[in-house]
Amino acid sequence: MSAAPLFLARDLELRYGSEPRRSQCLGRLLRPRGSRETGADAAAPRREAAPRELGSGASCLRRGAAFAAERLEVMEGECLALLGPNGSGKTTLLKALGGLLKPAAGSLLFLGEEASSSRSLRRRGVYLHQAPYILSGSVSYNLYYGARARGLPRGAADDGVREALSLLGLSGFERRGHRELSGGEAQRVALARAFAAGADVLLLDEPTASADAASARLVLEALRARRAAGATIVFSTHDPKLAEALATRTLLLEDGRAALS
Amino acid sequence: MREAFLLLVSGDAETWGIVGRSLRFSFFSTLFALVPGIPAGVALGTRAFRGRRSLVALLNALMALPTVVIGLLVYSLISRSGPLGFLDLMYSPGGVVLGQAFLAFPVVASLTQAGLSKLDPRFRETIVSLGAGPWRRLASTLFEARAVLVAAVVTAFGRVTGEVGVSMMLGGNIRFSTRTMTTAIALDAAKGEFERAVSLGLVLLAIALGVNLCLHALSPREAS
Repeated sequence: MSAAPLFLARDLELRYGSEPRRSQCLGRLLRPRGSRETGADAAAPRREAAPRELGSGASCLRRGAAFAAERLEVMEGECLALLGPNGSGKTTLLKALGGLLKPAAGSLLFLGEEASSSRSLRRRGVYLHQAPYILSGSVSYNLYYGARARGLPRGAADDGVREALSLLGLSGFERRGHRELSGGEAQRVALARAFAAGADVLLLDEPTASADAASARLVLEALRARRAAGATIVFSTHDPKLAEALATRTLLLEDGRAALS
Repeated sequence: MREAFLLLVSGDAETWGIVGRSLRFSFFSTLFALVPGIPAGVALGTRAFRGRRSLVALLNALMALPTVVIGLLVYSLISRSGPLGFLDLMYSPGGVVLGQAFLAFPVVASLTQAGLSKLDPRFRETIVSLGAGPWRRLASTLFEARAVLVAAVVTAFGRVTGEVGVSMMLGGNIRFSTRTMTTAIALDAAKGEFERAVSLGLVLLAIALGVNLCLHALSPREAS
């Protein structure tokens, strides 16, 4: 292969339990390294019961639920579908690719930098939850958030937001509040937010999970457009049709391992 | 009862002066409590460090402490022989405001902490992933929890407006200086003069109602 891979994982081992417990999640906001991780271990199962409604099913919150791979590469411009049953590690892997989860062992590099602390990943990548979190405020506030956080110039941000809105059929939604969105709309807003942030590395956890047929079609078309524009997309799905329609490569995950690629 | 209404409606200068002074004291004490209270709440609600849980428990205990105990504590600070005695705050408006600020601080800090720690873990992941640096994350977190912060402030204001222990111990109910609604009620009722006590009671009732309506309007509706 001529080009260097965008993501390169070696002897990677991910453990959901190595995430901070719930009360420490925000603690990571200002201090990336939880200081009480080891002491919290014994009490962990009880605490992990709380956020059960989050993520892709309770199974990925199970203790020890993990992902391991000896070697994993994602090339620039690739569109990789992650398939596999619940609890097979799709969400965990996507979060790690998004730099939100530190590997328990091994290394996960984004352009040669550790993904969890890579500045270029922070500028180029966006991870999207299966049930996306819409910031409390208008659709417009959400769409400008990433552009502002990444310091895009004003004009570019305006253009990006307008383009993202129209690409996802959200024109006219700018003033809608975060509570006035249906599940499918929220998912489109979150995707548009990622586009408007100028992200060309998209890490999407079941991007059509809460979308109705019309929304799913819009999402698929938008993702195709981004793929054509050279974006790198890694997404998980239970829908083989979506994988077939979008992916240039599929990875089957089983029991926390890449079964075949 | 009739006289009490008349006292309010006729715009009795001393009565309304007491109301105004009370609100002024409450405003400044709440303000002085916010300055350390919000940062303390943010630190306790968003950071992990040794002793965090104990501090939260301590704040919650302080919130439930009788006002006279807070009064006693601040009394020992600002009395002539105390460490802050040189400021001559005893039985002065400044003393009351300081004492009430001590009272409001745990309310602000504790409610801020509780609100921030209840934020969805996906919120942090979302803003980190969108590229927010540490300061933007802090600002966004405060903005995301804005309803909680306002509720904390309103609750603290309500608490200091309605307390009598601190105002009485540190202010001494001095006419035209430190007499507030609650101390005036306590004194007038003790003297058997009920008109003004009842009229001030009505004002306090209105404030309590207003505070609660505020909180009700701010409480998050069921998220869809």
